Amino acid sequence: MSAPGITQPTEAITRARAGDAEAWGELYREYAPPIFRFCRRALPTREDAEDATMEIFMKLKDKLIQYDATRSFSAWLYKVSANHCWDMLRRRKIRQDKETDDLENVPLEHPDPSQLDQLIEQRTSEEVRKALDKLGGRARMALVMRYYSDMSYDEIADALGVRRAFVGVVLLRARHELRQALEGNAALAAGGAS
Amino acid sequence: MSEMPDEKMKHVDEMTLLLYIERQLERARGLEVSAHTQECDECSTLLRALERESRLLTRAMLEEDEPLPSRLAQFQERARKSMQWIWGVVFGLAATGVYALYTEYIYPSQQQLEKAGFGGSNLLGLLIFQGAMWKGWQSMITLLEVLAMVTLAGLGAMFFRRRIRRGSALALVFAGFCTVLALPTGASATEHRGGQNPTVGKDETIKGDVYLTGERVRVEGTVDGDVFAAGKDIDIDGHVTGDVISAGRYLRIRGTVDGNVRSCGNTAVISGNLGKNIMWFGDAVTVDATGKVGGGVTMFGGTLAIDGHLNRDILFYGEEVNVNGAVGGGIREKGNMMIIGSNAQVDGPVKFEGNKPADVAPGAKLASPVEFKQMEKRREYRQSDYYIWRVIWTAAFVLFGMVLFLLVPGFARETINAAELYGAPIGLGILVFFGVPLAAIIACFTVVGIPLAVFVAGFWILMLCCAEIVVGAVVGNLILGRATDTWGMIGRMALGFVIVRIVYTPLAHLHVVGLLAGLGIWMWGMGAISLALYRRLQPVIAPNVPSAPYTPPMPPNTTVGGPLPA
Repeated sequence: MSAPGITQPTEAITRARAGDAEAWGELYREYAPPIFRFCRRALPTREDAEDATMEIFMKLKDKLIQYDATRSFSAWLYKVSANHCWDMLRRRKIRQDKETDDLENVPLEHPDPSQLDQLIEQRTSEEVRKALDKLGGRARMALVMRYYSDMSYDEIADALGVRRAFVGVVLLRARHELRQALEGNAALAAGGAS
Repeated sequence: MSEMPDEKMKHVDEMTLLLYIERQLERARGLEVSAHTQECDECSTLLRALERESRLLTRAMLEEDEPLPSRLAQFQERARKSMQWIWGVVFGLAATGVYALYTEYIYPSQQQLEKAGFGGSNLLGLLIFQGAMWKGWQSMITLLEVLAMVTLAGLGAMFFRRRIRRGSALALVFAGFCTVLALPTGASATEHRGGQNPTVGKDETIKGDVYLTGERVRVEGTVDGDVFAAGKDIDIDGHVTGDVISAGRYLRIRGTVDGNVRSCGNTAVISGNLGKNIMWFGDAVTVDATGKVGGGVTMFGGTLAIDGHLNRDILFYGEEVNVNGAVGGGIREKGNMMIIGSNAQVDGPVKFEGNKPADVAPGAKLASPVEFKQMEKRREYRQSDYYIWRVIWTAAFVLFGMVLFLLVPGFARETINAAELYGAPIGLGILVFFGVPLAAIIACFTVVGIPLAVFVAGFWILMLCCAEIVVGAVVGNLILGRATDTWGMIGRMALGFVIVRIVYTPLAHLHVVGLLAGLGIWMWGMGAISLALYRRLQPVIAPNVPSAPYTPPMPPNTTVGGPLPA
């Protein structure tokens, strides 16, 4: 994945690898805002996001040598960021989701399509962001990885430490949690129409 | 899957529809779902709803609702620019501190010990650089050489860090460092003998060092090198040209040792000839009437008896020194008793710090009268109320920390985060610890600066008081993980603080170690507070003014109105 308008910063990366401080500055100025926003969406507080962003860029100095230049830099950077944020959440033991065994038991039923449509129609981006804050660590992390940084299912599975087959389930559960948070009505997310 | 009245109209479940819009289904299954949604209104509606939900999520996440914090906007530049000179100053100050420490404490001690007769050796050297465990220290006897080696290792770490990962780099440099240090011992051949009674036979000559381990160790022949011995009874009846380094119950030297004896054990008896010094950690050392020691004795333990001849000084910390022979140098004892018999002859000064004056027999020949100093009363840590007060102080500090955390939770969190960066806060702490009082003194020279100096000095003391709390909070975080709420932080701080106190209390009574541990805690904590304060004082970027061009990532692969997955 590569952000629109951003060309692959090959030259800056090469110079940064050689220890050029200006190149580091270029990379930082270009990528710090989206990475901060990623962390802001993934972590519970603004302070956490600030700390995580700084730590990611400090870590980047060591990790840049591992970057494969044939791949997208931003995709790689998001992967590093996702791993870092997930590590932070895990360290704090605020992972509230159940383990993968429980994920298999998610009811795969239709929600009421018209009710869902209505819910989405009425909600603003800001409300969604607020609802995101109420989600468990894994649910929020999964949604951010998928819908903010457009990571593949394989990458999400790798970052969260779940089997690839469960990524869809994790995402669906996260959407259900989000709907509950948006609506405050578990019935909608649990479905009921068929 | 839900069922409709018509069996042909089985609905597609939500999971499948989600995978469909996310392009995760196989082509055949994707075609089935596509065909179904074209016929089934309900599934088609749900599909559209899911797609809209995806778009809403993406939009909500990508919207730039808050600017990049100023702390982050300026992080790179400031870190690059400021840290360069900060580190320069820090290392400059650290070097000055090391130099001051050396000139103020180590060098005078060396001189004093030199005067006392420990020529070529000093307490620091004996304890550290000529330590029994590793002979290579002898080849780098000066502090300067040690510093040079450490600096070289640091440069090596920096060099490799750019090329390989940090852990591997450190491991590589450490391994290289150890290899370099180990080289001095690798020059000569070594031999190991074990078993019940490892022995170097009477007519045997060993070139190089020998390691002997067993219940009864005997050296009856010649060892042209060092003897490293571990056993219950160790007898040296032959000739050792190097040192004897041993650990065992009894060490008896009836033969000749040209070097030093450095040992720990229960009892040592020297009846033969020893060319250099004795360093002993243990219960008793006796130099028999027939024993001759070319150097001095440094002993930490129970009883030292000199009936034979000692060419140089005695430095003793323990219970009792009993001299009834010849001592070519002086005696310095800190212990319970000193007995100087009628046959004793001491050519140097005799200093004794103990509980009662030395017992000097009338016939004893002393160069000067014994300088007696009454030992100070029992150290405070041997008194029971010392621990009660430690507990009270610990509780008071925890309470103080709790109040601070409740008053300024945000700043407390930032300080702990800063402390967890380790390198920068410690470096900055060194600067603040030495630099701020110096700046306050300079400010006092100006009339206007006096209030400022008083304020700065007060703040410096406050930081000093808070330093241990900060370190405690970091230790608590290491044990329990980071807390998200204030009371969680307080709990971790309290736990960590108690642990720091428990570890630090015994360390505080070890002179240099205690000093270094205390300084480390202060500098680390003060540095973290300073770093957090520094970040706080950065200008805040006005809302709605983006600090850098916005670069949103690509939207997700939704299929709204798009083609079917191929």
